[in-house]
This record gives sequence, C-alpha cells and structure tokens, in this order.
Amino acid sequence: MKTADLIEVDEPNLLDEQFDYSLPPRILFDGPLYEEIGDRIVRFDPEEALARDLVITDTTFRDGQQARPPYTVEQQVRLFDMMARLGGPNGVIRQTEFFLYTKNDRRTLEECRALGHRFPEITSWIRADKGDFRLVREAGVRETGMLTPSSDYHIFYKLKKDRRKAFNDYLEVVEAAWEAGIRPRCHLEDVTRADVEGYVLPFVQELMRRSEQAPPELHAKIRLCDTMGFGISYPGAGLPRSIPKLVYLMTNDGGVPHDCLEWHGHNDFHKVHVNGATAWLYGCNALNTTLFGFGERTGNPPLEGAILEYIGLHGGLCGIDTMMIQEMADYMRSIGVDIAPNYPFVGRDFNTTRAGIHAGGLRSDERIYNIFDTTALFGRPPRVAITDKTGVDGVALWVNEFLGLKGNDRLSKIRVHKIARWVLDQYEVHGRMSAITDEELEEQVKINLPDRYATYQAGRKAG
Amino acid sequence: MDREEIKAGVCRVISGVLGIDATGVSEAQSFTADLGAESVQSVELMAGFEEEFEIEMDEDEALSVQTVGGAIDFIAKYVNS
Repeated sequence: MKTADLIEVDEPNLLDEQFDYSLPPRILFDGPLYEEIGDRIVRFDPEEALARDLVITDTTFRDGQQARPPYTVEQQVRLFDMMARLGGPNGVIRQTEFFLYTKNDRRTLEECRALGHRFPEITSWIRADKGDFRLVREAGVRETGMLTPSSDYHIFYKLKKDRRKAFNDYLEVVEAAWEAGIRPRCHLEDVTRADVEGYVLPFVQELMRRSEQAPPELHAKIRLCDTMGFGISYPGAGLPRSIPKLVYLMTNDGGVPHDCLEWHGHNDFHKVHVNGATAWLYGCNALNTTLFGFGERTGNPPLEGAILEYIGLHGGLCGIDTMMIQEMADYMRSIGVDIAPNYPFVGRDFNTTRAGIHAGGLRSDERIYNIFDTTALFGRPPRVAITDKTGVDGVALWVNEFLGLKGNDRLSKIRVHKIARWVLDQYEVHGRMSAITDEELEEQVKINLPDRYATYQAGRKAG
Repeated sequence: MDREEIKAGVCRVISGVLGIDATGVSEAQSFTADLGAESVQSVELMAGFEEEFEIEMDEDEALSVQTVGGAIDFIAKYVNS
C-alpha cells in the first residue's frame, strides 16, 4: 500500500472545478466506461455522450396526469407555458405529449400551441389503434406515441396475443401512421421484463428496416419503457434489466439512431432518476420525465432532476431558466398538489438545516451546508429550522424569509419577540425535545403578526 | 416627560418582563449581569419599553444599551423629541 502523506495548503482547496457554487456541481468523468455484452467488451465514452443532442422530453400531461385527478385546461396551459420558459430557447425540454381523447384534451393542445413556443414541441399519445390517427391528424400533431408492449406479460396476459400476432399488429399500426404522415414513436412497454433477443430486437430491427422506406422526418422512434421500474444502472447487471446493455443493443444491434431513442422510467425501486441519466450516457438522446416526478404509481423521472443533471453534465445553464422550477412548484401547490417538505430542489425544507452546529456553519459560510447557490438559481436562500438553540436572531431570520421580506421591510427582533418567547417556552415550560415545525411557526406568525400574515396570504393568492 | 416618570415606566417593564421587584433597582445596574436578563428577555424589555412609552426605537442602538440608567436616557431622547 502506498503511504499517503498529508499535504498542507496555504489556502483551502475547494475543488472549484467540480463545485463552482454558482452552478449545480459538475459531473466529471475520469475516462470511458466499459461493459461486457455477450462476447463483446463495449467502450462508452461520456464525452461522446455529451456531444450528442441530449434532451429532456416530458409526459406531465399524459403519464403524469394518469396518476392524479385531471388538470383543468387552464392549469395545463399555464404549466406548459412555464415549462417552455424553464427549458429555454435551445429546447432542452424538447417535447411534451398530450392525450387527444376528450374535448378538453384537444382544447388544451390548441391553447398550448397558440402560445407560440417553439419548444417543447407538442406530440400526442394514442393506443395502438389505427382509428386514432384521425385524432392525431385532426389535431395537427406530427408525432405520436403508441403502445407497443414488449414483454410476454403484456403480450400474452394483457393483449391475449402471441408474439407473432403482436409483432404484426404493431407494425400494421406503424404503417398506418406513416400513411397518415405521422411519425410513430413506439412505446416498448415493460421492456425491462421482456425477451430482448427473442422479441424486442427482432421487432426493433424490422421497425428500423421499414423506417428506411419513410422520409427521415417520419422514421420511427423507440421509447424504452421501464414500466415497473425494474431497470438497473450498474455495470455488469444482466438483461433485460441492464440499462447499459439494453440501450447498447438498441443502438448497435437494433440500428436505432441515438436521436430516435428515449428512456421512460418508473420509480418503484427508487432508481428512477439515476436510471434515466444512465440511459442518456449509454445511448438514449431523450430522457422522458414528468414535473416533480408525478406519474403512475411511484412516478417517473422528475423533470427538474433531469434539468439539474443536464446542467451538471454540461457545466452551464444552456438557456435553462432555473427560477421556473420554483415558480412551477409554487403553482402546483396553489392548485392543491402536495409536495413533500423534504423533496429535493423544491420541497419547503430542501435546503433547511436543523442542527445548531449546521446553522452556525451556514451563518459563517453558506457553502458549508448548501448544495449550490440556491438563492441565485432558485430564489431560495438556505434556511435554519427553529429550536431552543436558535435564538431571537434565528426566529427573526425565519419570519423574514417566510414572509419574503427584504431590505428595510425586514422585521426587527423586537417585532418578533412574542414568537421567540413562544419558541423558548416550548422547551423551557413544556419540555419539548423536537424542532419547531414550519407549520407551527406559520401559525405563530398568523397569531402574532396578523397584518403581515394577511399581506403574505394575499400575495400568495395573487401570485 | 421627566426622568422620574421615565424611570417609573422602565421599572414597571423590568418588573413585568423579569418577574422581579423593581423598587430597589438602581440606574447603574446591568440588565444582563445584575438583573439576569437572558437573550430573549433583552428583546422583550425593548419591546416592553416601546409599548410603555409608545415609541419605536432603533433596534441595534436599543439592544446596545446595557444599564437601567442608559435605558432611561435612551428612552428620554425618543419621548422628549
């Protein structure tokens, strides 16, 4: 074992190359990745991956909406508008998909289109039913996703078909799409539980072969749907769960161009975000997401997580307006959507520290306990949770941050002394052992600063 | 308002906030070292003075006042201006 000697330094080494505080930390690689696939050792170069046109696609209004009561037309239009601003002019959020089945679905699509945003492009989603192309055509949509389940679970037990029948039926629908002048995007449902060699690859190869007969802008796309969240990112994992192997076989053996390959995950095993980013690195150009991960059961890759990952990989904002993430979270809350307090990036407590010693660190240099400059990128300064150790200063800080007061509008310690007294009494009089929650403090603001609270509430409603 | 009136008001507040008999309090006594005011009580004293004398004080200057006499002088500036 080589002895490691302590290296003293005159200045702290803050590893700025990776931790430039003004941005989410960079994701840097020391070199290529290798994967043994069959009898091949395959080399993947992250630099090559980053040179591809990596994009985020969205299914907030389709998969995301399947998991909740429907959004109103107005809500969807508002979210679409914010999504366009979040993704920016370079189309980092490249596409989003809509249902077409109800009057409201179609009105939503029309109103979103009327906003005139170049990105995200609007696509649709239909069942694998030839009759549905009439809806797609009438809506003026150029690309549609369609169900083409790939596992025997789905083929045999859901569709009551055999492989050959499913194979032919899907291709028939794809041909119908081409006849209608619509680009088909085949959603290979349950692909992480499918027979890759015996069904998936033959289907994909045939799809690519037939695509050659269509104009390039109509070539079929493939969405790899990890329907049950079985996908695994680890090198060396076996098919069909291995994302590196699955993606490689699609591009190399299946002949799917990177820009026609997309990953759609689910979070049943807490792997959804990393699985999506893994698919990016190993060959999918598109990562399909939903806002705040809302989606069927445990949800999909969170859109905002993909945005932060994108910035971390590219080392720049690339036109992304990160402030929109908070605006979208505020809007979701305003329409009754719950976001867990500890949910990354947007939860109320995502950058709140509770330990007194952490609070001291935050006061001396916020970089010690804040992930990046959340004030500049999110408008969310790091916060301290209130306990008996926090003092009147901490209470004043909390109240001012909560009410959004700045500069001369900020309340002095004298103005919040009743709240500080209430906090202290919780511990000294009532023997409390836990931190004061935001909800409790909000209640104290409501009781002790009623005018300020009313102004705050009015601002929230207006906003 | 004369100094004795201000002192009486200051003592009422001290008595209320710190829970002590303020009749024997001297102007030289320190709020923290002699009268035992804790951090939050120092702020409560200032809030009490504001309420007693219907004034609004500069927070930093007010909290820098250490003694009873200092508080009387400081408050006098506000009530007699």
